[in-house]
Amino acid sequence: MPLLPRIASLWRNLVNARRVERDLDDELHSAFDLLVDEKIAAGMSREHARRAATLEIGRVDIVKEQIRAARAGAGMDSLFQDIRHSLRLFRRAPGFTAIAIVTLALGIGGNAAIFGALKSVLLDALPYADASRLMHLGGLLSADTVAEIAQRQRSFESLAAFAPVTSDATYGSEEGARSTRIAWVEPEFFHTLGVSAALGRTFGKEDSTSGLAPFSDGQLAPDTARVVLVTHAAWEHLFAGDPDVLGRDVRINGIPRSVIGVLPPDFIGPMGAADFYLAFDLSPVIAHPIIARRAQWLAAVGRLRSGITSADAQREVAHIWADLVSKYPEDSRSLNVTTTPLRDAMAGDTRTPLVLLMASATLVLLIACANLAGALLSRSISRHKEFAIRVALGAGRVRLVRQLLTESTILALAGGAAGVLLANTMLALVRDLAPSALPAYADLSLDPGAMIVTALIAVCTGFGFGVAPAFAVERLDAQAILRDGTRGTSEGRRSRHLRGALVAAQIALCAGLLAGAGLLTRSLWKMTTAPLGFDLAGVLTAAIRLPSHDYPTPEARVQFLEQLTDRLRVLPGVDTVATAESVPTAVRRRVGVAIEGSPPKAAQRLVLFAAVSDDYFRTLRIPLREGRTFDPQDRLGAPTTIVLSESMAHRYWPLGHAIGARIRLGANPNSPLRTVVGIVGDVRNDPARPEAEPMAYMSTRQTTAPFVRLLIRTHGDPLALVRSVEHELAALDRGLSLDQAMTLRAQIGEEFAARRLPAMLMVVFAALTLLLASVGVYGMFTSMAVAREQEFGIRMALGSRPGAIVALMLRQGAGWMAIGLAGGALGMIVVVRLLRNLLYGLQPFDPVALGGAVAVLAGCATVALLIPVHHATRVDPMIALRAE
Amino acid sequence: MADRGTSLLQGTLDLLIIKALTAAELHGLGVSRRIEQITGGTFVVQPGSLFPALHRLEEAGWLNSTWQPSENNRRAKYYTLTRAGRKQLGEETAQWNRIAVAIARALEA
Repeated sequence: MPLLPRIASLWRNLVNARRVERDLDDELHSAFDLLVDEKIAAGMSREHARRAATLEIGRVDIVKEQIRAARAGAGMDSLFQDIRHSLRLFRRAPGFTAIAIVTLALGIGGNAAIFGALKSVLLDALPYADASRLMHLGGLLSADTVAEIAQRQRSFESLAAFAPVTSDATYGSEEGARSTRIAWVEPEFFHTLGVSAALGRTFGKEDSTSGLAPFSDGQLAPDTARVVLVTHAAWEHLFAGDPDVLGRDVRINGIPRSVIGVLPPDFIGPMGAADFYLAFDLSPVIAHPIIARRAQWLAAVGRLRSGITSADAQREVAHIWADLVSKYPEDSRSLNVTTTPLRDAMAGDTRTPLVLLMASATLVLLIACANLAGALLSRSISRHKEFAIRVALGAGRVRLVRQLLTESTILALAGGAAGVLLANTMLALVRDLAPSALPAYADLSLDPGAMIVTALIAVCTGFGFGVAPAFAVERLDAQAILRDGTRGTSEGRRSRHLRGALVAAQIALCAGLLAGAGLLTRSLWKMTTAPLGFDLAGVLTAAIRLPSHDYPTPEARVQFLEQLTDRLRVLPGVDTVATAESVPTAVRRRVGVAIEGSPPKAAQRLVLFAAVSDDYFRTLRIPLREGRTFDPQDRLGAPTTIVLSESMAHRYWPLGHAIGARIRLGANPNSPLRTVVGIVGDVRNDPARPEAEPMAYMSTRQTTAPFVRLLIRTHGDPLALVRSVEHELAALDRGLSLDQAMTLRAQIGEEFAARRLPAMLMVVFAALTLLLASVGVYGMFTSMAVAREQEFGIRMALGSRPGAIVALMLRQGAGWMAIGLAGGALGMIVVVRLLRNLLYGLQPFDPVALGGAVAVLAGCATVALLIPVHHATRVDPMIALRAE
Repeated sequence: MADRGTSLLQGTLDLLIIKALTAAELHGLGVSRRIEQITGGTFVVQPGSLFPALHRLEEAGWLNSTWQPSENNRRAKYYTLTRAGRKQLGEETAQWNRIAVAIARALEA
């Protein structure tokens, strides 16, 4: 039974079951009546007739049951028939089938993967209760700001501060020290987020006696945090999921703390992945008013009170902030307090690239569909004769349509299944290669929702490209085809136009995608090859943490670092050794700058700030422009000295008298004046921006932090030195470990990974569409050649030169290609507009990228059409003329 | 259509129904009577077998059905052969003949 009536029948049977039942009922009743009539006519009494008829028909409900079974069985049979026929056809054309399935897999799989990522980043629930009521307060806040907001606000029912960056720590176990990441939060943190422990409990008010103020200028209070929460992954990794972990003591940074709870498996905080959570108390910080106002190291999360909107909360916080600024204008408060919904804060700037990728993936799928529609169209044209015969022999026309739709749906489902596998692989790759590319909470896997969407896409795709040839079948004039003695491969005008339009569409879409990929790639290339301001080849970097109880004073730290660098300097293969508080491009600290003599209440601009050792500039080959870099005379107790970056010197001393000038750092108008002694070349801290931010340096002798980065320039392979460095470190202090030892290039490369990913994916998509579009062009010309084979044969037999044949073909096909390119030009304009914000160092209409895209497309299309055109000219006229 | 059911009888019934409908359209009871007639009374098909077979053949696309008034002006469901069904008759007949010859040979051996 033909498909549409069959669907109608299925629909009837399922939905309109009552109608079907009534029909059955009527039929059997009518049969009964007729039987009774018959018997009465044969002479029985009505009574007798009725009884006889009842006996003859039997139990009506049983008969009905048998009828129902028969109908269902027959329906399935013909569907199976169609399926078997389709499979037979596929087996006979394995090349086509393989290409079709691969094309579909790529199109559908790509969409599924991107959709999975998009969904988990933008749509999925955050692992917090009622996450839409959570707001993130950021910019970096000082403890004072947090306290003020907490006291005066009315919009939040609970508010908790946390350190927005996780810290490195050492975790001590029997096997020795290992590095771990810890997150510091206020005790109300988990209550605010609405997260409860999977095992044990989370922090409560009684835990607020634990205290430490990280990232302040030194320590304000001893680390008294005695209780700790462990994340689920860390629990499985470090404790093998031991249910008795509660109450166990763990050594973190040398201090024993007891585990009071295990967090749920899907939990991740706004600060990112961590192994342990510790609670801090802000009161020691607030007790030091200047540090409380100056040091900006906090963020906060708040749950909106019911009835309050996020706009209300934003207004209130902005108001409180404005008050604070007017009360203490001299504090470096150029960082604005921003209040954003938590999801937006955590999703960060991944939204645009993801949407872009989704659009690209959709384009790929569309092109794949167009391609397949064209291919099936050609195939159906060559099957015209077969179809005509079947129609003449009585097969319903609609039955043929059902056949075609079954074929295309099977292809689509097979492609979809392969696509899902592909998508899973892709997502796994992204998870491994570029974990920083997506927000921490994004769980990259295909959940049931994404699977269903993928299945729907597959089915729609099947119908989409199966419909085109089906329409061709509808219009078959069977008699005419059979009467016509040809091999029945002439393309109707309608399908020829359809085919041409499909190819034009493919070319247009492909052009747009190529342009986008080209622009992004060039942008990425510029970004990664533009000089950063220092030489990163041949440098080994590692991190060391100096625990505060072993190295309590700055002197102790300075002394240790001097000893270490002395030892390392004499190792074979080492050129220079430097220490710093951060790797270049990873500088996070900013301070306000006030030039001596400027009005005390003037607003301060922020500049980047890092403490570096004497040999830092030499190790990284940052050129010295004026004055000197740090040397032993800048020791603790001596007047503090500053080295500036070029752009900072230009900005504040445009006339060039920076050396010898004195400045204050930070907000306190009574803080010591520091003298500028040198100017060095710029270093680009943010590789995505072409200009370098102004930067100020101080000597590590005069300010040290417990966390130190080692930078060692070597002759040969930097990694070969890791063992020796560890050895020297252990010789000085066995309790210290070397973390994240890698080449500087690798360390910085990780920063780029996130930016590389969208560009790489777009290139992959663009390459795919190029392939598909080329195949489309190839197919169009091939079917053209086949369709007019006889005609060409005759022409050649009559003396036409091959060149004329080529011209004929080109004239037919090139028109469509030109339309495609014109559409592509429009597409390129759209793409450029969309990508404007993601481009680095490029004009939006970069001629190289756009010209390259057009050239590549035209080139591939040309190559694609060469083969069929060439074949067409080689047609042996005798073969072509041999009629049926 | 090779595997339509395991019983030979079902195939025979289908053939008879189709044959019965070659001349004219009939309702269910009419088909049964006609089969009885053309087989000289050998096959009397019970409604319990007839109606499922009619519906199955309709689902397969060989019969069409319409509601029409019958001889006594009662409404009845009439079945007609489709073109595919007519073609099927030829195939079924050929199949049947093959079987008959095979069995005859087997019995003689």
